[in-house]
Amino acid sequence: METFWEAFRRHGVSRRDFLKFATAITGIMGLSPSMVPQVVKALETKPRVPVLWIHGLECTCCSESFIRSATPLASDVLLTMISLEYDDTLSAAAGEDLEKHRKEIIKKYWGNYILAVEGNPPLGEDGMYCIINGESFLKHLKESAEGAKAIIAWGSCASWGCVQAAKPNPTTAVPIDKVIKDKPIIKVPGCPPIAEVMTGVIMHLVLFDSIPPLDAQGRPKQFYGNRIHDTCYRRAFFNAGQFVERFDDEGAKKGWCLYKVGCRGPTTYNSCGNIRWYNGLSYPIQAGHGCIGCSEENFWDRGPFYQRLTTIPVPNVEANADKVGMAVAAAAAAGAIAHGVISKLRSKPSKEG
Amino acid sequence: MREEVVKRLYIFSPSLRIWHWVNFLSITVLFLTGLYIGSPFFIGSSGYEATYAYAHNLTMDFIRFIHFSAGYVLFFSFLFRLYIAFFRKGDRLFIPAVWKSDFWKGVLEMVLHYIFIKPWHRTYIRNPLARLAYFIFYMALALMIATGFAMYGLSKPDGFWAKLFGWLVPLLGGEFMVHMWHHWLAWLIVLFVIVHVYMVIRYDVIEKEGEVSSMFNGMKNFKETPVDAEELS
Repeated sequence: METFWEAFRRHGVSRRDFLKFATAITGIMGLSPSMVPQVVKALETKPRVPVLWIHGLECTCCSESFIRSATPLASDVLLTMISLEYDDTLSAAAGEDLEKHRKEIIKKYWGNYILAVEGNPPLGEDGMYCIINGESFLKHLKESAEGAKAIIAWGSCASWGCVQAAKPNPTTAVPIDKVIKDKPIIKVPGCPPIAEVMTGVIMHLVLFDSIPPLDAQGRPKQFYGNRIHDTCYRRAFFNAGQFVERFDDEGAKKGWCLYKVGCRGPTTYNSCGNIRWYNGLSYPIQAGHGCIGCSEENFWDRGPFYQRLTTIPVPNVEANADKVGMAVAAAAAAGAIAHGVISKLRSKPSKEG
Repeated sequence: MREEVVKRLYIFSPSLRIWHWVNFLSITVLFLTGLYIGSPFFIGSSGYEATYAYAHNLTMDFIRFIHFSAGYVLFFSFLFRLYIAFFRKGDRLFIPAVWKSDFWKGVLEMVLHYIFIKPWHRTYIRNPLARLAYFIFYMALALMIATGFAMYGLSKPDGFWAKLFGWLVPLLGGEFMVHMWHHWLAWLIVLFVIVHVYMVIRYDVIEKEGEVSSMFNGMKNFKETPVDAEELS
């Protein structure tokens, strides 16, 4: 297969633009400027990597996000950086021939291709809740994973389970690392993940032929190392104690901190605060809505999204940890006083007698 | 006038007493500032630009600073508490002997006593039920410190505190759950404090063991030799 540089030349890209591109993606990948020569060298020598992109239970929002990548353009990644050999959502019309092609690629590039998984497998009813080409997605996934060099878990579905795995999880959907244990899996959570994070992960994989440094939960450190709260442009309002109390109050108009209306920024690790969305245009908090923590595990079960704490199911009341705590403390204090009075009354006879 | 012969036993070492009151102060400060941080109930700085608000009002930033400072005090005093337990037998009363059947009999006895079924109970320096409660309290403190410093430390993901306690975040299932545990344990500690204060007053008033003053002078009064007296030295 041709190298990136050869592919660029084929597209009529000048050396100057090529170097500019290499510098830009070095920054996007979270590497220091001193790494630019290595990135250039990798682009000149590394062949394009075949990628199989499979879809399980999901909504395709990861693909939708991916095609909006601006640095690099998604088209550049797809057409010149990787060799996208299979994407069943995009080529459904090709039918059985596409499945044949997938099997060929697995055989031909055994141990050398990258598997990108969007969505997750449902285990219930032998995986029959998600069928690809007449077979369960579970089988499809295992088969495709067997010869892969590395696996990318796109989005919260593949990483944590997301909405289909939320309680009561009727299809027993599980994240892919519950099914595939023997391959390196890079989790790129988010619902969807940020486009530049997706292309950044792919570039790291193909340019350095290695897995980007991962944190304890399997996410690339350079994109999921910081809390949104710690990178938020509204942080100054938090520190100053200036909060939005309601979505129609003065604070909301002034763009104050959304902490009190349930923003999950303080508990969510992602790059929304610094990379942002749509080529750095905006992100949910900037648009005036709190973060819902879509890149965190089980975020669907940790609602309501407009309160800081989850509710505790107490019949007929809206309760959370603090309210229940307060009630229990009050009851304990009352109980202690009552207990003390009874103890005192009962201890009297023995003292005198 | 009634005279009673009592044994006065020296139980609480000066280090332990100092720790107790430092602990009391830091927990009080932590709980009150924690309530504010969890639900900031006033807008302390309206009318100012966020950048200049610090200079004028009690801000979230300042309350958090107090909370974190008290957190450091709690953590290091807790380490100090564990440290002194190595050197003096009498400072190890929080360890419950759960492996002994006699211990569980003692727990049962105390429960029956507290629900007014058994009018009398054996005299202890620290009864088994109390030991269990203290043990749970120490565990809650340790988890409180760990969850607190995990959240605090991860502002600097490669820093010292993140390395020391950051592993707790995936273990509890994400940082949101760390916040939840921090809340739940805070209330568990409050519950302990309520029962603790009640029991101290109860033992002082009803059983006349001088419980309240014991945390100042270290001495407690007993009408008979406590069954666990050998655990003092």
